[in-house]
Amino acid sequence: MFHRKWPGAAAGAALVLVGPLVLSACGGSAGSSTTLTLGVIAPATTFEAPDMNWGNESPYNQAVYDSLVQASPAGVIEPHLATAWSYNAARTVLTMTLRTGVTFTDGTPFNASVAVKNLEAFQKGTSNNASDLVNMASATAVSPTELMIRLKQPDPAFLTYLGEAAGSQESPKAWSSPTAATVPVGSGPYELDSKATVVGSSYAFTANPNYWDKPEQHYSKIVMNVFTSATTVLDAIEGGQVNAANTFDNTTIPQIQNAGFTVYPLQLNWAGLSLFDRNGTMSGPLGNVKVRQAINDAFDRTALLKDMSDGYGSVTTQIFPTNSPGYESSLNSYYSFDPAKAKQLLAEAGYPHGFTLDMPSITAAFGEATYALIQAELANIGIKVNYTDYQGSTIFTAILAPKYPATYFTLEEDPIPWQLAEFILTKDATFNPFHSTNSTVAGYLDTIQTGSSAQAATAAKALNEYVVQNAWFAPFFRPQSSFVADSHTSVVVQAGNAVPYLWNIKPKES
Amino acid sequence: MLTFTVRRLLYGVVLLFVIVTLAYLLLYAAAGDVGRTILGPTATQATVALKNQQLGLNSPLISRYFSWLGHALTGDFGSSWFTNQPVKTAILTRLQVTLTLVFGAVIVSAVLSAVLGVWAALRGGWVDRIIQVFSVLGFAVPGFLIAVFLVRIFALQLHWFKPTGYVQMTYYFGGWLRTVTLPVIALSIGLVAGVAQQVRSSVIDALRQDWVRTLRSRGVSERSVLFKHVLRNAGGPALSVLALSFVGLLGGAVIIEQVFGIPGLGQVAVLATSEGDVPLVMGLVVAIGVIVILVNLAIDLLQGFLNPKARIS
Repeated sequence: MFHRKWPGAAAGAALVLVGPLVLSACGGSAGSSTTLTLGVIAPATTFEAPDMNWGNESPYNQAVYDSLVQASPAGVIEPHLATAWSYNAARTVLTMTLRTGVTFTDGTPFNASVAVKNLEAFQKGTSNNASDLVNMASATAVSPTELMIRLKQPDPAFLTYLGEAAGSQESPKAWSSPTAATVPVGSGPYELDSKATVVGSSYAFTANPNYWDKPEQHYSKIVMNVFTSATTVLDAIEGGQVNAANTFDNTTIPQIQNAGFTVYPLQLNWAGLSLFDRNGTMSGPLGNVKVRQAINDAFDRTALLKDMSDGYGSVTTQIFPTNSPGYESSLNSYYSFDPAKAKQLLAEAGYPHGFTLDMPSITAAFGEATYALIQAELANIGIKVNYTDYQGSTIFTAILAPKYPATYFTLEEDPIPWQLAEFILTKDATFNPFHSTNSTVAGYLDTIQTGSSAQAATAAKALNEYVVQNAWFAPFFRPQSSFVADSHTSVVVQAGNAVPYLWNIKPKES
Repeated sequence: MLTFTVRRLLYGVVLLFVIVTLAYLLLYAAAGDVGRTILGPTATQATVALKNQQLGLNSPLISRYFSWLGHALTGDFGSSWFTNQPVKTAILTRLQVTLTLVFGAVIVSAVLSAVLGVWAALRGGWVDRIIQVFSVLGFAVPGFLIAVFLVRIFALQLHWFKPTGYVQMTYYFGGWLRTVTLPVIALSIGLVAGVAQQVRSSVIDALRQDWVRTLRSRGVSERSVLFKHVLRNAGGPALSVLALSFVGLLGGAVIIEQVFGIPGLGQVAVLATSEGDVPLVMGLVVAIGVIVILVNLAIDLLQGFLNPKARIS
């Protein structure tokens, strides 16, 4: 009968499945001593230098472009395409001496005229960092090796910006190409291998054979694989498919460590409430400092850190990061969890029965639990929170309109005080939608902007202290994000950036 | 037959037009502040406004739609908002990856289903019961769970396959095999379960027919009865199930590509949808719409070829 034949056929079919297993045993690991495979969490929005973003997209930029200056891991500005620079006494004219002998991969030489075109294009571009050059009045090529930049006002963060996307140099000839967004033409250490690249998923780079700074070229090939979930990046780590990666989720850290990877913790943001309406324009109670202080006393930050960030991070009541000159360790615990004191402060402010506070939420990003915890802690002192939930970017439009007097969010902590101030503290800062200011704050900001380094550091500390004492915000904690690397890879993390700078990721010396 | 084909094609074109129009309107209705979505919270309002202007979002929706439709008819679907890659390139690059998985799953499913279905029908007893249990499990266990299990065991524990990624077949065949095998198995299991059941039932039905008894009584060998007659009769319904499952496999590939980090249409569809990358999503709607319409047309033609009544209806 037929059935005696079928086990054989089934075995044959099984062999179809098992065949690959046998073949697979011959394969090797993905990485080699001259290939770096990076796991990244964002694709390159564009490779057109004037529109490139920084942060999670910085490795793409640093692979193919050189910037005018470079920042050390601690944030100290060092020479790169600019070998020397100086400011005038008013700190409104920056003169830079440029390196000679540098050419782009299309053969175009780098000089001051090219630098001017790049700076002007970035200023007019649509990078999310385009405002980095908002203070640039003009850029002029004094000679092929001398670049002069005039500023509308002193900008203490300007040199830092020139070490990031704003200072990246691309061959201007590339901009007229229809493939400008996907085929970069830089002078950087690597060239994009378009044939081996799947845009949005995997980017391959090969060493630029004519690179002028060979010691900074640590690999012959770099592959950047984009991962879109915590599970997939964990699988790649455990499977030895990446040498280093950004992670999505702190809960996977123990498994990552078990796979032999070293975890480099980063604290780049602060999570908490931004109490925007400090003059009480929209929400009368928030105009009273005692109310804002009461809100700060309402939160059990240690519990929030555990519940909202799995315990990874550190509690704080200040928005200045630990590597900022304005940082003051005592301000991490200026407010403590004290509901009784909070209620007393509310009563003294004239709100013994609390009040109602409208806030936006984006549960798709932060989860229902986050907002429920905040609601519960404020309800405990009599403040009733009403949320309006948003999807996607519409929440930013609502916040910045401004439609709400306060919001919960995770916001960046820039190590340079002026950078942080321009983001959230100056009168016209993006995240100061009610344009809150006063003479005290303006005075500190003026010193930070125009004073010497020592004066600026002192002013930054004083500003930090003022902002905390006057409860402009109610920070909860700094959540930890992590960069991880295998035992073959040496990493030095970068102050204020989600990804270590590419030249600080090297093969570990055995 | 020609009238039948033309009619089906016209239905397909109308259907595609309705789908893309609805998709376009719905996507823009939910798009929010596109410039802000692309640039994130740190960008200034001025830069966001400039971005919106560059993307042509200041013009009325209806004029944007007809502009998009006009370009789409010439094969120009614009560029992704989030990677700036031309949509056509993004889709064509990834389509072959997804089709590799889907066709691989169809082939594996066809072979295994035929083997298991016929085996169960002929052997009966414990073999049949085991295959029945397997079929129920294959239906009940979600593909992504099978995928996660396969990754943990065969990629991370045994290191036989790659847990993530995709290698082009033309680049390195062994590498390709190590990246596609687990996803194809994960995609196939549910399909094998369904088609094997169909084959089993059809073979059992066919074996009970009088003409089989007649063939046997005339001394035709059992092998010939099975391969030349029974399987040919039983294959029709199974083929229909398999063909209809092709479209379902495209949906399954979305999840499987996520689990295995494979740069196919599924992965880009999830990413583009979650980011609100309207040009890319619209390109995907068109591409998948065309595939679904063509597959359904092929099935209709096949049914029409096998059964003339279907042409009339």
